[in-house]
Amino acid sequence: MHVRQVGDRAAVIDIKGDVTAASEPVLMSAYEQADSQGAQRLVLNFGELEYMNSGGIGMLVTFLIRANRHRQELAAFGLSDHYREIFELTRLDEAITIYDDERSALSDAAS
Amino acid sequence: MTSIARSAPRRLASFALPSVPGNERIALAQVAETVAGLGLSPARLDKLKTAVAEATMNAIEHGNDSRPELAVTVEVFQLGAEIIVTITDRGGRSDDGAPENSAEIPDLDRKLGGEQDPGGWGLFLIRHMVDAMDITTQDERHTVRLMMRIGSQDTCAGGGLSG
Repeated sequence: MHVRQVGDRAAVIDIKGDVTAASEPVLMSAYEQADSQGAQRLVLNFGELEYMNSGGIGMLVTFLIRANRHRQELAAFGLSDHYREIFELTRLDEAITIYDDERSALSDAAS
Repeated sequence: MTSIARSAPRRLASFALPSVPGNERIALAQVAETVAGLGLSPARLDKLKTAVAEATMNAIEHGNDSRPELAVTVEVFQLGAEIIVTITDRGGRSDDGAPENSAEIPDLDRKLGGEQDPGGWGLFLIRHMVDAMDITTQDERHTVRLMMRIGSQDTCAGGGLSG
């Protein structure tokens, strides 16, 4: 995973490959990096996601709990229709705003 | 006197996997390959793959306690317009200890509030991905059966299987 700082207040976390329980150390490390840079809006890029399972969903909940504690906004883009539906089923889409692309996710942050 | 004959399911594939975490990816790939060309839409195939992966992961981790010497058996059948996938572990657990019976319905608000563990989404996902599922236990064999109808709309029924 790769963290890109965008402006003063946003960071994009590029997720590649799998999101499972085993990904937790890597994703949390990405969170720490974005948090240390002062990001108030964290944007998850799922464009190169290959596989996500229930363990990965649980890990996203943990990620969300951390972001909520720090009053950070979470957004996402690049989800396939299948994983977008899973976000809806689990109601993660109510807590993580989903956009079609990075530009939309970041422009909404700036507005 | 007439009788209504219900044809027997046709077995399309049967394979066993060691109970090693991660092998659920092999299960989903083999099931996807087996049902390719049977008429499931790509969206419904994605759902079946997710359900198979989750059920296999449960069998590996909870049923067989991630013991590689214990196999998880996956079988794929076709019965008319239904695709049926069974995933069987040999962990010998009782129904009382099975996660599907003990788990609370996952609720995001409760999880965010710390009242529920962040995990526990597996059975929830399975139920919403397939048209029907059921779970049976016979002696030490614990089987999850998943059913998808070919040609159905993309709805998540999550009902029980009969027969």
